Amino acid sequence: MPLFGKSQKSPAEVVKSLKEAVTALERGDKKAEKAQEDVSKNLVLIKNMLYGTSDTEPQTDIVVAQLAQELYNSNLLLMLIQNLARIDFEGKKDVAQVFNNILRRQIGTRSPTVEYICTKPEILFTLMRGYEHQDIALNCGTMLRECARYEALAKIMLYSDDFYNFFNYVEVSTFDIASDAFSTFKELLTRHKILGAEFLEANYDKVFGHYQRLLNSENYVTRRQSLKLLGELLLDRHNFSVMTRYISNPDNLKLMMNMLREKSRNIQFEAFHVFKVFVANPNKPKPILDILLRNQDKLVEFLTRFHTDRSEDEQFNDEKAYLIRQIQELRAVPDH
Amino acid sequence: MSASTDFISLCRLQTSNSSPGDGVSLPLPIPNSPVSVARARARVHPPLLHTLSHPLTRGPSFQEHSGIFGHLTVGRHRKISPGVVQPGSPGIFRRKSSTGAELVFPAPKSRPRPSVGDILATKMAQSGAGATGLGWPNTKEDYELKEVIGVGATAVVHGAFCKPRQEKCAIKRINLEKWNTSMDELLKEIQAMSSCNHENVVTYYTSFVVREELWLVLRLLEGGSLLDIIKHKMKSSNCKHGVFDEATIATVLKEVLKGLEYFHSNGQIHRDVKAGNILLGEDGTVQIADFGVSAWLATGRDLSRQKVRHTFVGTPCWMAPEVMEQDHGYDFKADIWSFGITAIEMATGTAPYHKYPPMKVLMLTLQNDPPSLDTGAEEKDQYKVYGKTFRKMIVDCLQKDPTKRPSATELLKHPFFKKAKDRKFLQQTLVTMGPSIETRSQKASKRQPGTSGRLHRTVTGEWVWSDDEENASSQEDSDDEVHIRKEKPMNLLVNQGSSGSEEELNDGKPEPVINSTPSHTAQNSSTTSSTGSGPTPVLESQTAPVTAAPLNHAVPINLVLRMRNAKRELNDIRFEFAVGKDSAEGIASELVSASLVDGHDMVAIAANLQKLIDNAATAGKNITFPLVSYQMAQANTGTNPADIPDEKTLIGFAQISITD
Repeated sequence: MPLFGKSQKSPAEVVKSLKEAVTALERGDKKAEKAQEDVSKNLVLIKNMLYGTSDTEPQTDIVVAQLAQELYNSNLLLMLIQNLARIDFEGKKDVAQVFNNILRRQIGTRSPTVEYICTKPEILFTLMRGYEHQDIALNCGTMLRECARYEALAKIMLYSDDFYNFFNYVEVSTFDIASDAFSTFKELLTRHKILGAEFLEANYDKVFGHYQRLLNSENYVTRRQSLKLLGELLLDRHNFSVMTRYISNPDNLKLMMNMLREKSRNIQFEAFHVFKVFVANPNKPKPILDILLRNQDKLVEFLTRFHTDRSEDEQFNDEKAYLIRQIQELRAVPDH
Repeated sequence: MSASTDFISLCRLQTSNSSPGDGVSLPLPIPNSPVSVARARARVHPPLLHTLSHPLTRGPSFQEHSGIFGHLTVGRHRKISPGVVQPGSPGIFRRKSSTGAELVFPAPKSRPRPSVGDILATKMAQSGAGATGLGWPNTKEDYELKEVIGVGATAVVHGAFCKPRQEKCAIKRINLEKWNTSMDELLKEIQAMSSCNHENVVTYYTSFVVREELWLVLRLLEGGSLLDIIKHKMKSSNCKHGVFDEATIATVLKEVLKGLEYFHSNGQIHRDVKAGNILLGEDGTVQIADFGVSAWLATGRDLSRQKVRHTFVGTPCWMAPEVMEQDHGYDFKADIWSFGITAIEMATGTAPYHKYPPMKVLMLTLQNDPPSLDTGAEEKDQYKVYGKTFRKMIVDCLQKDPTKRPSATELLKHPFFKKAKDRKFLQQTLVTMGPSIETRSQKASKRQPGTSGRLHRTVTGEWVWSDDEENASSQEDSDDEVHIRKEKPMNLLVNQGSSGSEEELNDGKPEPVINSTPSHTAQNSSTTSSTGSGPTPVLESQTAPVTAAPLNHAVPINLVLRMRNAKRELNDIRFEFAVGKDSAEGIASELVSASLVDGHDMVAIAANLQKLIDNAATAGKNITFPLVSYQMAQANTGTNPADIPDEKTLIGFAQISITD
C-alpha cells in the first residue's frame, strides 16, 4: 500500500488483525489477555485513522472509505459491540468513538453506515440490550444516541419490541445508567418529530400504559424526569392528536392534580406545565370539565398561592394568571 | 381536524392583546415569532451580574424545542430563581366523598410493587461481577455513613463504609430538590465522571437515588484537600515567605496536569481547578475532584451556573477572564488559567485577590494585568525564594488571551516540572504533615447539620430541624412520607418574602407567614433590643444530631441574626448553635434554604457566625458585617443616597448576637 509508511498497516490489515483479536477474545481462552491488548492496540490505530492525533492528521477520505468498507464486510461492528464487555476501559470508549465516526460518514447525501445498519438491525438491538450490563451501558448509550439521530435507525428501534425495555432501563438503580437510558429514550421519542408523533399515535395505549408506571415510580428522579418529558411531548405541536387524547382522559387530569400537590416543588412545577394543557383545552370533554368544576374554587385558591415566589418568571405568572381566570370562568355545560 | 387547527390557532392568537373576556386563548407568546424569540433571547443574555449565574447558557438549544409551548419549556429551565429553592410544602390529600361535589384530588394510588429497576440492577451487578469481583451496591443500607468531610449548599460529603465490600469510600449526597439547575446537566456530569479512569481524576464507583437525594459513591482520599493542608501548614508554621517549596509544588501540580490532560482529552473541562478541589490519598496520590461546593458536577454547561454562582458566593478568584466575560463561552484553556492561580495559591497560601469582594475580583481580573506571585505580597521580595522557572510557568498560564496559554500536554513539558518528585515524596512532605482525617471531620461536622433535613413546624408550632435520615424509616416510599406527614402535620418554613404558601385545598387559609406571626414574636421579644420597629420573625432551629457525627452534648448557644428583609424591615432570626454539633456553614445554608437570607450572604454569615462562636469568650457578644447581596443590588441599580450602607441602622449590614 503506497499510501502508508512501512510501519503503518492498511485499513484491511488493521481490520483483519482486530477481527482476529476480537475472535480470540470471544473464545476467552488462555490468550485472552493478549487478545485484549491487541484489540485495544488496533482500536487505537483505527481511531487515529479517523480522528488523527496531535501529531498526525486524520487519514484521507479514500482510506476512511476503505476502512468503512472493511468494517462492513468483516461484520466487525457487530462483533465489537457483542464483545464490548470484554474490551478494556479505554478500548470501550474507542469502540464508541470509532462507531460514531463511521456512522456519521457521508457520501454526498447518503449515509452508507446508516444504510448498512438498516440491513443489520441486530447491531441496534445488541446496543439496546447493552443497558442490561453495567460496565458497557454508557458506551452503548453513546452509540445509541448517535444512531437515534438518523430517522431510519430511530424508526427501527421505536417499532421494535425491545423499545419497551426502556421502561425498565430508565428505572435501574444505578443513577447514571438509568439517566443515560432516559436520554436515549427521550431522543427516540422527540428527535424526529413526525416519526415520534406517528409512533405515539399508533401505539398510544401501549406506550402510555407503560408511561404511567414511570410517573408513579418510587424513584424520585424517574418521576421527575418522566413528568418533564411528558410535558414536552404534549406541548409539541406535532403530538397534537396525542395531546388531545391525553387531555381527554380524566384519570390523567387526576394524576396531574395529585402531582401538583407532590412534596417536591420541582415535581409540582413540572405538573403545572401538564395541568395547564387540560385547562387551556377549548374543547374540554365533560368528565374533565366536571372535575375542574367540582374543584373550581379550590383550584383557584390553590393556584393563587402556587409558587408565589417565582415572581421573576413572567411567563409562569402569566400562565398561572390565565389558568386562574380560565378556571374562574368555567361554567357547566347544560345537558342536552 | 378542525378542532386541532382551532386550538393551535387559538394558542397562536395571543401575543397581541387578546381581550381578557374571550377566555379561550392562552396568553402565551407564539413560538418562532420574532416577539417570543426576542423575549427568550433577552433572558439568555442578561446583564453582567446575571450572566455570572449562568455563564454558558447559549441560544441554539432553543431551536430544538418548538411546538405549541415548546419554548416555554426551555424558557423556564433557563430561568434562574434567586436563592435556593425552598423545600416544598407537604401536601395532604383529603378525600371526602368520591361522588359529591367535594371530590378533591384523589390520593395517589399506593403501589408497593417490586421495582423492575432493582431486579435489573441485581442482574447487572451479577453481570458486572465477573470483572471487578463484587460491584458497588446501590442501596443506602449497604453503606454506613461516617464523618462529614465536606459541605456545600446542595451537597454534603461523608466518609463512608461499604459493608458488603468491607471497604471505605466517600459518599456525596446531593439534594436534588435544592439542585436548582436542569437534571439533564447533572446527568451529563456524572456520566462524564464515570467515563474517567485515571489515577489523577477522582474515582467514581456508583450512584443511586435515595428519596430526593442523589448519592455518589467515590473513592475516599484520606489526606484531604490541598487547601486543608495549606491552611494547616499556615496555622502551624510561618508561611510568610511561601507555603510549599518548589519541589512540592511541582510534584503536586504535575499530577494535577496529568489529570487535566486526561480530562481534556476526554473532551471535558473541569472549570473549578483550585487547591480546594485537589485531593490527596494517604499514599501521596493526587486526584482532581470536588468535595467543596459543587464543581466536579458543574463541569457541564448549565451546571456551571450553579458552580459559578457558588464561586460567586465565595470569590471568583480562580476564574479565567473569558469565563467572567461570557462573550464567547470558554474551553479547556479556562482550566489552565485556574491552574495558574492554583500555583500561586500553593506558594502564597491564597489566591491573589482573595481579600476582595467578588465584584472587585471581577473588576481586577478583567482590568488589571494578570496576577503573579507578588500580587498579594505585603512587602517587597516577600516571595523571593521562588525562582524564574516557576514564575515563568505561572505567566504562561495566566495569559488573558486563552489561545496563548499552553495546553496541559504542552505545560507538562515545561522545565518547572523537572523539579517534580514522586508520590512517596508527597506522602512524606504533605500527607504526614497535614491535618488528620479526624481533625478534618471534626471541623466539617462542626459545620453541618446535614443538607437534606429541613426546618419544619411541629404540631405545637415550634420550628425544628430534622435530618431526613433520622425521621424516616428506612424503606419508606413517597406514599409513606405522605402518611407520616398526615400523622404529624408540619408546615415547612415559608418564604418570608412571599405572600403565602401552598396549603391544603380544604382549608383555604394560608399558614401565617413567619414575619407576621405575632405569637412567635412575643415569645421571644424579651431578647430583642429595640433597633427595629418592623415585625420580628422568629426562627428557632434545633439541630438534630447527624447520624455519624461525633456527639458532643454541649449546651447550645442562643443566637439572633438581625438584618433587614427585602422590604427593608428589620428582622430577628433566632437559632441555636450547638458547638460540636452545628456548624456555621450548616446554619448559614439552612437560613438560605429557608429563604430567610440571600444566597450571596451565606458565606459572610457563616464566617461571622464562626468568628463570633470562636471568640465569644474574648471578644464581644455580637458582630456586625456587610452584606454582599446589598452591594450587588446597589451595583445593579445604582446607589440611592438614602441607601448608603450604614452599620448602625443595619442598612447593608447584618448583626449576629449571642443572646444568653
